[in-house]
Amino acid sequence: MTAFLITALWPGAGTADEDMCNTLICKMQTKDFSIDFRSLTYGIVQKYSDSTQNPSNDFLQIPRYVAALELRPDLRLNKDILDLSVKPRMRVYYRKWQEGSREGDSDWDSDWFINEWLARLKIRQNTFISYGRENLQWGPSFLFSPSNPFFQDNGRRNPYLEVPGMDFGRVVYVPHSSWTISLIANTGEGLNKATGPGRFLSSYPPAPFEKTYSLKIDYTGRESYSTAILSRKEDSGNILGFFGGWTVSDALLLYSEGSFTQGSQALYPVTDNSTLRASMQKLYQYSSSINPAILMGGSYTLETRGTLTIEYAYYGQGLNNTEADSYYSLRRKAAQAFISDGPLSALGQKVLGQMTNTGLRLLRKNYGLFQYTQSNIKDVFDCTIRWTQNLDDGSGQFTSVLVYYLGKHLELFSVGSIMAGGKNTEFGSMLDYQWMAGLKYTF
Amino acid sequence: MCKKRALLFLTLMFVFYAGLSILSLYAAISPQEVLKKADEARGKEEGVEWEVAIESIEKGRRQERTLKVSSRNFNSLAEYLTPASMKGQKLLMLDRNMWFVKPGLSKPVPISPRQKLLGRAANGDIATTNYAEDYKIDGTSEDTVNKEDCYVFDLKAVDKKATYDRIKYWVSKDRLVGLKAEFYTVSGKMFKTALFEYRNNISIEGRPREFISKMVIIDAVLKEDFTILHYRKVSIKKIPDSIFNLNLLLR
Repeated sequence: MTAFLITALWPGAGTADEDMCNTLICKMQTKDFSIDFRSLTYGIVQKYSDSTQNPSNDFLQIPRYVAALELRPDLRLNKDILDLSVKPRMRVYYRKWQEGSREGDSDWDSDWFINEWLARLKIRQNTFISYGRENLQWGPSFLFSPSNPFFQDNGRRNPYLEVPGMDFGRVVYVPHSSWTISLIANTGEGLNKATGPGRFLSSYPPAPFEKTYSLKIDYTGRESYSTAILSRKEDSGNILGFFGGWTVSDALLLYSEGSFTQGSQALYPVTDNSTLRASMQKLYQYSSSINPAILMGGSYTLETRGTLTIEYAYYGQGLNNTEADSYYSLRRKAAQAFISDGPLSALGQKVLGQMTNTGLRLLRKNYGLFQYTQSNIKDVFDCTIRWTQNLDDGSGQFTSVLVYYLGKHLELFSVGSIMAGGKNTEFGSMLDYQWMAGLKYTF
Repeated sequence: MCKKRALLFLTLMFVFYAGLSILSLYAAISPQEVLKKADEARGKEEGVEWEVAIESIEKGRRQERTLKVSSRNFNSLAEYLTPASMKGQKLLMLDRNMWFVKPGLSKPVPISPRQKLLGRAANGDIATTNYAEDYKIDGTSEDTVNKEDCYVFDLKAVDKKATYDRIKYWVSKDRLVGLKAEFYTVSGKMFKTALFEYRNNISIEGRPREFISKMVIIDAVLKEDFTILHYRKVSIKKIPDSIFNLNLLLR
């Protein structure tokens, strides 16, 4: 039975030609129905940063080693007026701790879940209505996506980890080849919540969920595109997002992405008379002030095929120097309280929890990104190297994504990150390094 | 007898003028119209779906890709069918704007037209051709390709946004299809040559028309490096705007 399955699913294991439709998965496909099936096996080695955010790894309890097997089938039924798709996921993983309160501990676990699904009906030739769990991403930027009111994570840091889907209802109207109007309702948090499979390898929970309604208008011209997104969050203010790009020449692209947010749900450090002499509070919850987040970027493709990308981002909601000093001062006090054996420990834990996710997409105001990407080197190798710099506190993150193709179905991949900066900096607070390596097989 | 001679004279005159009219009608086709006709045979239609099999030999290394392409005017959506490791990857071209979409990768990535598809093939080579609108005719001459009489057009990019700066394009006088093209850099250096074959047949407004079946791209410097594009399963159909819409693209 096992031999049959291997031969049926794994064309290289049989004697048949790889290019012929001789696998079970290939034979199951019809004109209307398709399956893409991928499996990933990978290991992760990471080292926590012994900062006041995670003293001795007792707070975040980051495992030193992770090994996982993931099966990722994507199923799709495409009829003339109806599209159905579902992405069930199975993950089996092993974790081992070497530092912190779980030192020497290890565990096995598994997750079975549906990361995304969609039912879409074409009600007219140019009008579509859909509901489902989606990873709704847009915009040209790498560093972060300020125009997207739904997702903090744009999935660019590690392309081998999927962003957990959220629940959306959408109406998309295409009145003209250049124009699209979308009404989007984010009705549920889906897997993007504090617990569950969506949090795998994530050290901290997402911001609290708020129902959000958006009107998105897209325009595509001959060598440019632009989009405006007006959003209303149920428990907070309005957000006007935008992005646009311009194909300046055969090799040069320029783009911008941003948002203007009314008020803020984020937590900021405030000096007060509480036990720690400071606390995290929603300072601007009812403020009518407008906070801009503006990203500008460009990419240039060299004759040698490599592409250089550079981005600068200003994040208005981020902490200024005075607020950052208060933030790290409070974090130090919270860490001391957390490691104390007394009743203060619970308070320290609560404050550290707030500080891991303040609701801010970036901690400070000014950021830069530099990236080099080249695909198909010697026909078998893809390479991306990226440097992200916090221009306010001097910390940085180096990321490399390397892919080596071992034949038509198998790829060997490596995603590595090394952080630079002191313990009281944004990138130096969580991890010293993380290295993920594995094999991806596409059936 | 006179009447017979007069009738013969009139008949000859009719044949002569009819012949002249046909010749002048043919001659009346402007170079721009010849270019438009040649574009038609390379996909400039209200919509075409085809499968493009690409084979590339570079420095002795052989690579293959197969893509399903939906194309209309200046817009194209290409989806990789093989190799398996690239299956499901998509390339969306909306005029000069291009995005690359990879399954599992959250966001579509905007890419520049310079990014190559495979070997010597540019992304634009799998899409429909718009030489008549992207380039202006800088000069014309005549030549033969495989003993077939051709118009030779010197084409200059209308603006810097075209895939190539300058193209020398051989179009068959008889069949009005492009047979050969030479592509030049801004500095005037030829960097690749393409040869075209038309063994597919389609119907345009009820009339049969030859349609591209093969494009061979040869590197100008490394003559042993070449890329072959086979165009097959050609289907002419109306393709709606929604096919080329990022908001509706299933990832």
